Amino acid sequence: MAGQSDPHISIFTPAEVEFLAEDELVEIVPNIRMDALNMICGDFGPFFPQISTKVPIWLAVALKKRGKCSVRPPEWMSVERLTHVLEAERESPREFQPLPFHYIELSKLLFEKAHDDIPDIYMVRSLIEDIRDVRFHKVEMGLEKISGRTHAVKLKNLSAMEVNIVRPFMVRALQAFYKHGSPEMIQQPESTVSRTQVLDRGPRRDLRPR
Amino acid sequence: MGIYYDIDDILLEEEPISVVFQIGASGVGLLDPGSETNSVERSAKVTLPFWLANELFLRRAVSINVPACFSLETRKEIQADAACVDLRFRSPYFYELGCKILPLVIDKSIGPFLQYAFTSRYTEILSKSHNITGANPKFSSKLTKEESHLFEAARSSMISFKKWRVGGSRLEKASILGRKRKPTTPTESSTP
Repeated sequence: MAGQSDPHISIFTPAEVEFLAEDELVEIVPNIRMDALNMICGDFGPFFPQISTKVPIWLAVALKKRGKCSVRPPEWMSVERLTHVLEAERESPREFQPLPFHYIELSKLLFEKAHDDIPDIYMVRSLIEDIRDVRFHKVEMGLEKISGRTHAVKLKNLSAMEVNIVRPFMVRALQAFYKHGSPEMIQQPESTVSRTQVLDRGPRRDLRPR
Repeated sequence: MGIYYDIDDILLEEEPISVVFQIGASGVGLLDPGSETNSVERSAKVTLPFWLANELFLRRAVSINVPACFSLETRKEIQADAACVDLRFRSPYFYELGCKILPLVIDKSIGPFLQYAFTSRYTEILSKSHNITGANPKFSSKLTKEESHLFEAARSSMISFKKWRVGGSRLEKASILGRKRKPTTPTESSTP
């Protein structure tokens, strides 16, 4: 989807966002001995068996594929933490809970490549799906409220993949609203007192309470 | 700014507008199918494409009537239920045409009317585009060009996300390799 009809909106495909997420660090427990890897992005220390180290996910996945390590799931990926986050998401209809920026891509990668290292994987998987649904629903509810008066939209704690999904739509919707609401089109300001008046709270439309 | 080369802009300016000639014009009788001589009389009603009407208006040769797509009937329909009105049938460039007509006609209520129409259709587009259930030909055929850009943007990004989430390999087999090809050399016997 990198080449859409409007060349001014640059979009990442989901695979590209996943590629960017692979730089996140994760803990692994190697079962071999290896010298330090000195790379441009950093040095990843000598690997000793049963001593856990932090490496980027792409390296962890590569080692796991060759059977040289086992991945320890990050601490946000436990059933209790995710249940807690899900309840908090459901309770606050305008805020997004803080979650790791790449949680969708990280969880997909770990489910695919390291599914035997995660306890209760089905539970974790369904919890993450639910969290994703609830958050996206909130994004949609917030998008319904933008109107001609909106100058900017603020979405706090949104994750990379969610941003990527709504980006083309939101940019174009804001452009269209700007075009329709520009002053030379609206020559009688009192006639625009319409249903948007009750929702208007000023020039900036936050999607969370200030 | 790129509007000169924008294909949508060029197509939009082809939309027919009905105008009333303020002066007589000779030699252009083709424009008026009802004229006997090769000229257009004063206060004759003619249908011209928008780009021509615009230029003649700037030379004060015509006065422009509001096109049919902004008539009272359309306004009533939109006020009744904006999301179900088939705007593409009336004009696929509904909003853009309205924006361009605005400085040319006397009626200034087109601007707020367009904004109202767009705002009310926008919520429908939002919900329909993000929840894909196969194709929605009934709904998407009622959208103008601009709205369907918006719709397609959301829908394609949703579809690609869902496809990515399912997983699978990152490489797709080229479709041309899937078919069995008949041998093309004439010496071999071809099997049906």
